[in-house]
Amino acid sequence: MADMTKPVPQLNADNRPFWEGCREHRLKIPKCSSCGYLRWPPAFLCPKCLSAENEWINACGTGRVYTYAVYHIAPYPAFKESLPYVVAMVTLEEGPRMMTNIIDCDPAGIYCEMPVEVSWDDITEEISIPRFRPLQ
Amino acid sequence: MHAVGALESGLCRYVLISYGQSARSGNSMMRMLYHMTRNDDAVYGHFGAAGGYALAARRAMHEFGTGPETWKQIAVGQRAWANRNPRAIMADQELTEESYMASKYMIEPFRLFDNCLMNDGGRAVILTSVERARDLRHPVVSIMGLGQHNPSSDLATADFLAGPTGAKRAGEAAFAMAGISRNDIDACQIYDCFTYTVEITLQDYGFFGPGEGKDWFSGGTIAPGGRMPVNTSGGQLSEAYYMGLTPLSEAVMQLMGRCGKRQLGPETSTKSPGIILCSDNGGILQAHACYILRRI
Ligand SMILES: [Zn+2]
Repeated sequence: MADMTKPVPQLNADNRPFWEGCREHRLKIPKCSSCGYLRWPPAFLCPKCLSAENEWINACGTGRVYTYAVYHIAPYPAFKESLPYVVAMVTLEEGPRMMTNIIDCDPAGIYCEMPVEVSWDDITEEISIPRFRPLQ
Repeated sequence: MHAVGALESGLCRYVLISYGQSARSGNSMMRMLYHMTRNDDAVYGHFGAAGGYALAARRAMHEFGTGPETWKQIAVGQRAWANRNPRAIMADQELTEESYMASKYMIEPFRLFDNCLMNDGGRAVILTSVERARDLRHPVVSIMGLGQHNPSSDLATADFLAGPTGAKRAGEAAFAMAGISRNDIDACQIYDCFTYTVEITLQDYGFFGPGEGKDWFSGGTIAPGGRMPVNTSGGQLSEAYYMGLTPLSEAVMQLMGRCGKRQLGPETSTKSPGIILCSDNGGILQAHACYILRRI
C-alpha cells in the first residue's frame, strides 16, 4: 500500500503477447480466429463466440479519446510527482477501447473524440508503456 | 433478493442484512479500492471507483451535456436533508452551490462534494414475512417489486458507458413486478457513491430524458419541500456510506415514520410517503438492483 514505485505490468497468459509486443513498440490485439472479433481486454475465450482460438494483429496506433479523467490527487503515492495526470480510454482505429494516458497536452485541451496516436514510453529496457498524444 | 428467496422457500424466518466498515480509522476501504484496479489499468494510474465513475461521467458530459450545473443541485439538495439528520456526518455543515463550485477537483470532472463519504460505522435491516412483521411494534414495510441487471463486468467492454446503465432494465423489472408507474412514487433513495450516479440512475428509471436532469433537479426538486425527495438522510454523499444499506435503511425508516425532523410529510412540507423507490449499484455502473417498498 505504501508502495512508492509506479505499478508495472503483471504478465499472465492473457496479456503476455500484448506487453511483449509493446517492448518492440507494436500495439498487438488478439483477434478471434473463428468470428474475427477483437478481444479487449485480452482473454482466453472470445466473449462473442466462445472460441479459444486467436491470432495477434498489429493495431495501427491511432484512435480517438472515448473518455478521460484528470487526476488532481494521487491515490497511488508514486503518482504524486505526475500530478495532474490524465487517464483515458482510447478507441483504437480497429475498434477496441483501451485504458491509457494522454500526454504532451494541456489537460484543459483534451476532449472526447480528439484524434490521438500512440507514443512509446520506455520505462525500462524490458517494459514499454503505450501512452497517447494528440495526433500530429 | 437472496433474502427474499431464503424466506419464501422456508429456509429461515428472519434474515439480517448488515454492513460495517472502518474506512476512516482503518484502511479497509482503500485496500478494497486499491485491489479493484490492481491490474494493467494501474500502470496508467487508474484508480478505484472514483477513476471509473469519472470516466463514465466525462463521457456523459460529451453525450448528453450533463456536468457540474446538474451535480451541484444533487449535492446541495442532499446536504439540506443531512442538516435535518443528527446522525449524518455532515449534519452541522451547510453546503451552497457556490461552495460546491469552489471546492477543489479530485478526479476531474468530480469535485470534492461529488464524492461520497468514507466513514466508520454500520447499518442493518431485518427481513421477515409480512405475517410475522404484523406482530412487531413498527408499521409493516413490504417489498412491492425487485429488479436486477448487470450489463457488463469491465469498463472496456461496456457498450454504453454513459447509459443506459443496468438501472434501465432493473427499474423496468421492478415497476412491472410492483404493478405501478413512476407517478406512484413518493420519494427515492438512490445509491449515490457520486452525484452523477444519482442523475444517471433517475434518468435510466425514466424520471427525465438524457440531459434533462439539470432542469429536473432545479428549484430544489429533491430537497426538503421538493416534489420528489431523494436521499432524505443525506445519502452517502452527506450522511454516511454503508453501501446499499444507506438507501435501503432510510426507505424503511421513512415508511415507518421514524425519521424525526427529516420525516417526509407535514414536518418537511412533502407528501407523506406510501411508496419509496430504492437503488443499489456495483462495479462502474455495470451492476444494478432496484427495489420498490411500500407501507402497508
Ligand atoms: Zn469469436
